Amino acid sequence: MSRFFAVKTTANQERVVANLMEMAVKKYQLGVYSILAPKEMKGYIIVEAEGMEDLLRAIKGVPHVKGVVRGEVTFQEIEHFLTPKKAAEQIKEGYTVEIVSGPFRGELAIVKRVDEAKNEITVELMEAVVPIPVTVKADHVRIIDKKEEEV
Amino acid sequence: MTELACRKCKYINMDATICRVCGSSELTKEWYGYIVIVDPEKSQIAQKLGVKYPGKYALRVG
Repeated sequence: MSRFFAVKTTANQERVVANLMEMAVKKYQLGVYSILAPKEMKGYIIVEAEGMEDLLRAIKGVPHVKGVVRGEVTFQEIEHFLTPKKAAEQIKEGYTVEIVSGPFRGELAIVKRVDEAKNEITVELMEAVVPIPVTVKADHVRIIDKKEEEV
Repeated sequence: MTELACRKCKYINMDATICRVCGSSELTKEWYGYIVIVDPEKSQIAQKLGVKYPGKYALRVG
């Protein structure tokens, strides 16, 4: 029977930790079945293991591991990470967003249109003197304000 | 070294043109979330995702 544990890691090193742990698991034939690094959980990974002992042996000596979170995580708690919603589904027209990648990185913008099928949104930059619609991938923005303004 | 996820099975391939698991040529650089499946038979997560081969997978593609 699997048990789930949360492990704290250095931010943005989740994948490195998961890969190093996989190597340790294979080398020592440990009872660790999977390692999950969801995008939404910065600085943490979820380890599916037979028990705490296997987990502790798998993280022993692995860099960027900061510790194990006390207690266990239930499968229901991590189930939603396995079927993630498209980013566009969580954004609505009128939301204020910050663009986090591309040439407009760091700019604030107001959402004017959402295309869930393409996972794209059309925004207007707040700083621009003349409002020009810009279409960006919904994953490339961060929601700042959920107030839905009149569009 | 580019990590490309398969649009069909979500397996992450290293510098490949076809997927090592399902043989699909629909690979993409755009993927999010990361999961390492070590033992697909015993893993509850692997069963939920329908993964049968061990390896690295993306949680969402495209």
